[in-house]
Amino acid sequence: MKLKGLLSSTTVADRLLLSILIVLSLSGIIFIKEVLPKGQTVKIDVDGHPLYLLPIEKDVKVSVEGPEGKTIVEIKDRKIRIAESPCLNRLCIKQGWIKRGAIVCLPNRVVVTVGDENDDERKKIVDAITG
Amino acid sequence: MQLQDKYRIALLSAYALGLHGFESLLPTPIPWLRLGLANIITLVTLLLYGIRSAMMVTLIRVMLASIFTGSFLGPAFILSLGGGVTSTLSMGFVLSLSPRLFSTIGLSVIGALFHNIVQLFLAYFLFIQRIEAILLIAPLIIFTGILTGTVNGVISDLLVKNLKNTDVKIQNWI
Amino acid sequence: MDTLVTITVVSGSKDNAERAIDIAFSRIEKIEGLFSFFSTESEISLINRNSGISEVKVSAETFDILDKALFVSEKTCGAFDVTIGPVITLYDFYKKIKPEDALIKKNLDLVNYRELIIDKNRCTAFLKRKGMLIDPGGISKGYAADRAVEALKKNGIDSGLVAVAGDIRAFGLKPDGRPWKIGIRDPRGRSKEDDIMATLEIKDMAVSTSGDYERYFLLDGKRYHHLLDPKTGYPAGECQSVSVIAGDAAFTDAFSTGVFILGIERGMRLLEKMGFNAIIVDSQGKIHTTPKIRGKVEIKRAS
Repeated sequence: MKLKGLLSSTTVADRLLLSILIVLSLSGIIFIKEVLPKGQTVKIDVDGHPLYLLPIEKDVKVSVEGPEGKTIVEIKDRKIRIAESPCLNRLCIKQGWIKRGAIVCLPNRVVVTVGDENDDERKKIVDAITG
Repeated sequence: MQLQDKYRIALLSAYALGLHGFESLLPTPIPWLRLGLANIITLVTLLLYGIRSAMMVTLIRVMLASIFTGSFLGPAFILSLGGGVTSTLSMGFVLSLSPRLFSTIGLSVIGALFHNIVQLFLAYFLFIQRIEAILLIAPLIIFTGILTGTVNGVISDLLVKNLKNTDVKIQNWI
Repeated sequence: MDTLVTITVVSGSKDNAERAIDIAFSRIEKIEGLFSFFSTESEISLINRNSGISEVKVSAETFDILDKALFVSEKTCGAFDVTIGPVITLYDFYKKIKPEDALIKKNLDLVNYRELIIDKNRCTAFLKRKGMLIDPGGISKGYAADRAVEALKKNGIDSGLVAVAGDIRAFGLKPDGRPWKIGIRDPRGRSKEDDIMATLEIKDMAVSTSGDYERYFLLDGKRYHHLLDPKTGYPAGECQSVSVIAGDAAFTDAFSTGVFILGIERGMRLLEKMGFNAIIVDSQGKIHTTPKIRGKVEIKRAS
């Protein structure tokens, strides 16, 4: 295709808008991929309720129940993925393994976030321990 | 509305619906990447026949697609409706404000951008309620939206030019 | 009781708070004096010494705790039995002594809550057969927490938390308007003290946990812990820990033991019937919760 012809059909405003958007979104992506702390804990929310807070070091598979059915979250080698999901588009599964950030499964209302909630900090906010 | 207009809107909607369905059959190699092919029809309609027709086409496409896939009034429908309507409105608004400021490609990118932003907002308010999760996926979604928006803009541009140059009535090329 | 008691109160006045705490502590001390299994001065010892001989006149508190214990025994079909004394005393968890099978069998005959007779009108208690022993250990800490909370409330405290070892009762809200946050110990945690497997928030509720890690020894690869099944005389094996949430700490204390011994299936059914909530860790380490508290408990490790 004639790239020149294509370029000539764009206006100055076009090019300005495209450059700004690309720079902003790319720096956002790089920030999330590289700058964001890797996080030590994996938090699983279902339908807005926190359900699990798991250490990232321990390899496990956790099954949670959402409105559509069972979603299986897997932690392995400090990476997290959604292994099984009842949703139709399977976007959450296709997202694959993540080290930071989040996986969201909209249909089953499952949100998996890699966070940095310090264990010691959590202990302090406990008023008493039973057991 | 003239009979001819109704006929045209029906055909354009059918075309948008076809692209919408075609797109859902395509494998998505990158998560969250949606081509938004139906937006091509919305944009072409907007440029050739104005905002009213474009909005009609969008509404008919969203309604029918959700009825066919069984998601009518469900979460996917709300996201699709919100995204489609805002995207059409944003393109129409920019066009009416200054018809020569952006080219077809620029309009398409604006449409894609608003489509994505509104969907993210809706997802936050309706389903996720975890702002950090939304913020984390937002740049990726917006970036892919820019790319697909550009591609769709190029296609729309070619279509509009060809249709204008040859002065072919819309019925004929459909 | 040689247990750690913590009392936390929310009050506008430091003097009021200290006075209320002092009264609550003396309530707990009084209860310890009445219930101690080891002190010869206690009313429980008096009942035990008079087993098979005569009924004993007891204080209102002793009557109350025995009444509650019998209620729990009834509800748990004897899985919780306050007359477990003759068998539990055979085990020595410090010297790691597991009794002879024959001895367990012999003493098991003396374990039967139905032969503990209490009389409300005369306020008496009587163990029908010689050698029977009441061991209130499975309910007394929770009961003490209840009485301490009662004392705090009576002395103008609107919100606070009493923890008698792992038996916790909370009332009102914290100064920041939040409910009290309770951590549940991980039954297989590395450090015995602070490894928490889950947290939950409570308001005007009690929580107790019975775990196989509290008093135990390992012998020939088997874990011998203090939660004995009154039907066999041996430690119950289906759970690692059971935490029960209910309004009354004496009940959470006793029911956590009872459910631990009943096991997951029968335990869950009982909890449902009683309307209590619980978090159970089974012998594989898997976490089970009652339906009503799903979403309210934050579980910190995989099941």
